[in-house]
Amino acid sequence: MANLERAPRKSFNDLIYDLIFKNYVWQSIFRTGYPNTPRNQMLAVATNVFLHLHPTRIHRTHVKITHTYCLGGLSFFMFLGLTVTGVLLMFYYVPSIERAYQDIQELEANVRFGQLLRNMHRWMAHAMIILVLLHMMRVFYTGAYKPPREFNWVVGVVLFILTLLLSFTGYLLPWDQLAFWAITVGTTMVGSAPVLGDESKFLLLGGFSVGPNALIRFYTLHVIGLPLVISIFMAVHFWRVRRDGGLARPL
Amino acid sequence: MVSRAAAAIRTRPRREREQEVLVWPDLVFIEFISALIFSIALMVLSAMVNAPLLNRADPDTTPNPSKAPWYFLNLQELLLHMEPAWAGVIVPTIALVLLAAIPYWDRDTQGQGVWFGTKFAGRLTVFGFTAATLITSLLIIWDGSLHVVWTENIIRGLGLNSDFSWPGGLDWFRNLRGFDTGIPWESLGFTIGGFTMFEDWRAIPLGIPGTTTDPWLLNLNFPSFLSQQIIPVATMVGLPVAFVVFCKMLGWIQTRRDIALLIFSAFIGVYLTTTIVGTAFRGQGQDLKPPWDIVVLEE
Repeated sequence: MANLERAPRKSFNDLIYDLIFKNYVWQSIFRTGYPNTPRNQMLAVATNVFLHLHPTRIHRTHVKITHTYCLGGLSFFMFLGLTVTGVLLMFYYVPSIERAYQDIQELEANVRFGQLLRNMHRWMAHAMIILVLLHMMRVFYTGAYKPPREFNWVVGVVLFILTLLLSFTGYLLPWDQLAFWAITVGTTMVGSAPVLGDESKFLLLGGFSVGPNALIRFYTLHVIGLPLVISIFMAVHFWRVRRDGGLARPL
Repeated sequence: MVSRAAAAIRTRPRREREQEVLVWPDLVFIEFISALIFSIALMVLSAMVNAPLLNRADPDTTPNPSKAPWYFLNLQELLLHMEPAWAGVIVPTIALVLLAAIPYWDRDTQGQGVWFGTKFAGRLTVFGFTAATLITSLLIIWDGSLHVVWTENIIRGLGLNSDFSWPGGLDWFRNLRGFDTGIPWESLGFTIGGFTMFEDWRAIPLGIPGTTTDPWLLNLNFPSFLSQQIIPVATMVGLPVAFVVFCKMLGWIQTRRDIALLIFSAFIGVYLTTTIVGTAFRGQGQDLKPPWDIVVLEE
């Protein structure tokens, strides 16, 4: 009789599984196991700080790739990637005209994965602009700006402008010929504005031409000023997507 | 007005549960995969292509051509064809304001949530994009005087006239500046009732005699004003209007949404064309050149 009551022996895989997922530390982080019932799956989304931007259920047409092509989400993903690579770049970069260019050269030559890091940051920045533009086209051509989403479209236009400004302010930082003259051309265009042109250009550059003051202004705007502002607008943008009833659907 | 948005939500039919899927796993999975694909693609791109780094910035050495970042090259392209204040600031500002204003003008809630939701949306999109791209390219070619070069080369090449050059009588049609420099403005003054009007078209007094105002208010260089401001602005306003009228005549436009589709598509066409031309077809002195002939000189 005793033999029959003995529990079946655990396989090696089960032992490993239990060791990883059923120990005290793991369960202090993830309170439940893998959510494998609809109820638990909804709770997983609603109670997770990162996932709770989502609703728990959505209309089935909205998970079709061809409806959104994930463009908005990918724009946000680019922002996250740019933040990570940007923070890493800040370890190696000093925004002074004596050091900036040299720092980039040394980053590329002496830092392990330094060149890759810089490449990632640059191509992600370009990708973000393209993705934001495509996202705007997607929203337009699916008529998703119509009531009640008028204001979120406006927030989106603001986010587009902020994306361009973030990229533009970052463009100066390597302090090479490409950066210097691109910003010179760009700020000259600002200077041609009627009435407030010269004043705006002076405010942007901290002087009459691109120099040390411009570098520190662009750097500060690039690493803290504009990211803070765009984060606020993104928060509003995502919040309004939820408040306005998720993605647009035919009435 | 306040309740318009609220009403739009309230009138939405209650979703049937069967039409819904769970965000976990259906959506979270897609998001994860797309993020993964992009991470890998960007990693591969970054491993293969290095970000550019030229010589250290030198204010005394100007590269020719000097270009803004690529996403502003559409504006730099406009700069070549009109007064800088229009190209660099006023036009983009108006474009962005109009863009943001679309939903406040096209308020009909019908046709949302589906791609190209109106009957003629496809045609309007294709027509707006293609026609705007073509017309913009032709205007750029004209203002770059390429038609002059091409005509001369063709007539010489065919052996019709080996010394042929663009006729002086058509100087005004060389490019936009031609309206300024190619017309004998000096001889165009006329008299009305004993008063000689516009003896000097290049210094038309606007200020009131005996008062002092800003100098720029005092005299107007009309030929330059015509070529740098009136014609470009009239083109930018007139062409969209012509597009709308044309499509209305074809019966393609039935709602405001149709007009928005047409103009937005045309805008995308112009935006792309000017960006591509500014990026790949502008060489030294911002002359039109094929991409493989573009060399950057440092001067």
